[in-house]
Amino acid sequence: MMLEARNLTVSATLDGESVPVIRDLSFALERGRVIGLVGESGAGKSMVGRTIAQLLPPGFGVTGGNLEFAGNDLVTMQAEERRALLGREIAFIPQEPLSALNPVLTIGNQFAEHLTRMGVGPSERRERMLAAFEAVHLPHGADLLTRYPHQLSGGMCQRVLIAFAFASRPKLVIADEPTTALDVTIQARIVRLIAEMQERENTAVVFITHDLRLAAQVCDDILVLYAGRAAEYGPARKVFATPGHPYTRCLQLANPAMSGARRGLYALPERMPGLRAYRDIQGCAFAPRCPHMIDDCTHAPPPLADVGTAHAAACIRAGQTARIAAPAPAPSDEPTITAPILEVSTLSKRFASSRGLFRRAGEFTAVRNVSFALHENEFVGVVGESGSGKSTLARLIVGLETPSEGGVAIAGRNASAPDFDEHRRRSVQMVFQDPQSALNPRRRVASIVTQPLEAAGIATWDERLAKAGLLLSEIGLPPEAAWRFPAQLSGGQRQRVNIARALCAVPRILIADEIVSGLDVSVQAQLLNLLAALRRERGFSMLFISHDLSVVRYLCDRVLVMYRGEVVESGATEQVFSAPAHDYTRTLLAAVPPDDPAEVWEGLRA
Amino acid sequence: MSALPTWLRSGRVQLGLGIVALIALTALFAPLLAPHDPNEQNLISILLPPAWAKGGETMFALGTDSLGRCVLSRLIYGARIAMSVAIVASLGAMVIGAVLAHIAGYFGGWTDWLIGRTVDVWMSFPPVILSLILMVGLGTGLRNVILAIVLVDWTRFCRVLRSEVLVVTRRDYVAAARLIGFSHWRTIMREILPATTPLLITLISLEMGIAVIVEAVLSFVGMSVGPNTPAWGQMIADARQNIYDSPWNLVFPILMIFITVLGFNVLGDGLRRTLDVRLTETQRA
Repeated sequence: MMLEARNLTVSATLDGESVPVIRDLSFALERGRVIGLVGESGAGKSMVGRTIAQLLPPGFGVTGGNLEFAGNDLVTMQAEERRALLGREIAFIPQEPLSALNPVLTIGNQFAEHLTRMGVGPSERRERMLAAFEAVHLPHGADLLTRYPHQLSGGMCQRVLIAFAFASRPKLVIADEPTTALDVTIQARIVRLIAEMQERENTAVVFITHDLRLAAQVCDDILVLYAGRAAEYGPARKVFATPGHPYTRCLQLANPAMSGARRGLYALPERMPGLRAYRDIQGCAFAPRCPHMIDDCTHAPPPLADVGTAHAAACIRAGQTARIAAPAPAPSDEPTITAPILEVSTLSKRFASSRGLFRRAGEFTAVRNVSFALHENEFVGVVGESGSGKSTLARLIVGLETPSEGGVAIAGRNASAPDFDEHRRRSVQMVFQDPQSALNPRRRVASIVTQPLEAAGIATWDERLAKAGLLLSEIGLPPEAAWRFPAQLSGGQRQRVNIARALCAVPRILIADEIVSGLDVSVQAQLLNLLAALRRERGFSMLFISHDLSVVRYLCDRVLVMYRGEVVESGATEQVFSAPAHDYTRTLLAAVPPDDPAEVWEGLRA
Repeated sequence: MSALPTWLRSGRVQLGLGIVALIALTALFAPLLAPHDPNEQNLISILLPPAWAKGGETMFALGTDSLGRCVLSRLIYGARIAMSVAIVASLGAMVIGAVLAHIAGYFGGWTDWLIGRTVDVWMSFPPVILSLILMVGLGTGLRNVILAIVLVDWTRFCRVLRSEVLVVTRRDYVAAARLIGFSHWRTIMREILPATTPLLITLISLEMGIAVIVEAVLSFVGMSVGPNTPAWGQMIADARQNIYDSPWNLVFPILMIFITVLGFNVLGDGLRRTLDVRLTETQRA
């Protein structure tokens, strides 16, 4: 056994009290196998990875059970011994490749340092480095050694780090969300590479991810975590085909499907309890959100019980889990095609790049010759990888950037109309990607959502409070949230506030820039359902920018595929996704792991 | 304690505020506190040591200077000059610097370029020399000392604040405010200024300490207020001639400058730590 945890308990000291963060966790990983740790943020996935590497934050420590690596207990091991293991026998692939590399040293420098630590002599080093780069399919290895991290793309940096990790021929590799910070198109390649290296070296891998579909394709075994406890543990195929724990099932149903008939999203209510709430939990931590909760669930935490061969779930009603079904899809009244409310014609935007004191400015085209129309009550998705010009397009439409060529017309009026800016402001609102940055931390929620009234300058504070109450109930936040500061809200709640502010101005068009990326699937499902409901109630059009194709498929009637600033394909969502015409669209689609875990992922094979 | 706002609960702020308030009150009630007229000469008892030293007299608690003036009274009156300069000059420097910084950081482009280059040129003059030249041109007097400090030190505010404004301006909530229909003026006042205010308050507190020192330097070389107004720098200059006979005369005004500047700096540091929302917002949650 390469890695084995037995009743592992990790505790944190909060307000002078010890709170278990990971409780009673047991799992085993054999040589050449991949175990997937999945769950939403806060479930304790990364904490397990950090415990293995002994990188726990201050105040955290192992308080029970043991964790054995190749027969040695990592918990009781001397710091000196453990350090010898790390990097040599146990290697790490981090989440953010760019911040894991030192920006002021060349790749060659950093790699050589790493090899020196492993005891590789100076004469062999160069050869070892070049061989490692070849193994991860990085071309021009010799050239790469002299480069600095910022000269490489995120995907290349991640490959370099994979080369680092496998250079020591480790027995165990911990990959903590290795593809989350990368583009979808690169995701498949990186995952394939990890799988290839793992097979070649017969390494054991701990693969930490929030993406169930990805885990289904990559992992042999799956450990689903909820609030620091194992919710379900078993072979990947079984866990995803016949989930035993309602949480696993609900997560699956919260993910929009990439194929098959349209179905509704199962939106888990509320969110996972925070660390501070752990000690108040009597029964099953998932019970308050569980659709199958009965009284017995609140008495004692359910133990992991077998639900099949080598497949266990911590649920007293595991037999009923299969009955949890996706809600019916939102009634999609075929949008009656009316006159377009937003027309974008031959829009281009060029930026001056790298202007220096003595250098002529170069030019970079972010958006090239984009034309499309958005009709009333229609949701149009814009997909493409980062740098494809999606965000610039959004900023051009709302007027945060001025177009180099072409223009937009809103409800028939274009930029030559006398009061176009005012007209645009009344009709179009934007929801920004990062609510952290889009909400003024010094304003209370009530003041943020009613900012449009403040701009008009006529409403009194009482009127604004009343309006805030209405908006909050519409977006599903409790009325007392009006007095909170953004920092006191969760990520999903902040994004709701962000949407509420845009809605306050009663726009006819909403431009949403990646508004569900970076959120947990259950929160994402809540927001997507909210947007669908708001469309039915209020009736507005939306340009929905996202890199996540499944989300676009769920929400949008039509889709635009952008590549290097151009729209390469557009059409009805269903048609584009089922019969893509452009190569790039096919690449994008292949990059998403399939819904059915039994199906072979083309992206992984290619 | 919960009734106090967060920033007042910090020990640094309490200490700094305590020192500054003490000196400010001394300055305000100088005529009541001073045992003598600060300019009254008593040529019979010159260069007296403090009362507790050998040869000291109880009438002059901290001794007398070379013209037989009461050192304690002069220190108390000197606080008036120091505090007026500290408060008015730093407020003036702040207003000019902050206005230009917000304009430069918010609008960017050539406005930013122009203001940035002006600050560069301005800062390339050694500050003390610049203020000396200004004083020569303007003539002595309290108002001119203040004016000289304002004209020299606004750049300090401008440069530090501009980069903060730049960071805040890039945040999406500023763009959101513009999209919602806020005017430039309202965007700056309601969205940007609240974010830069903590830095502004910190800077002004530090600037007050600097203003006290600059005033002392100017009055040391006789380029500040006239000879009939007692100022700490002047006292140091006077005491310099008798440095071996009565070192006390030198020590007291230096001590006063030291304590005042320390007070302002501790206050500024404490405010920086407590007012910065980025540091405190997680605790409020």
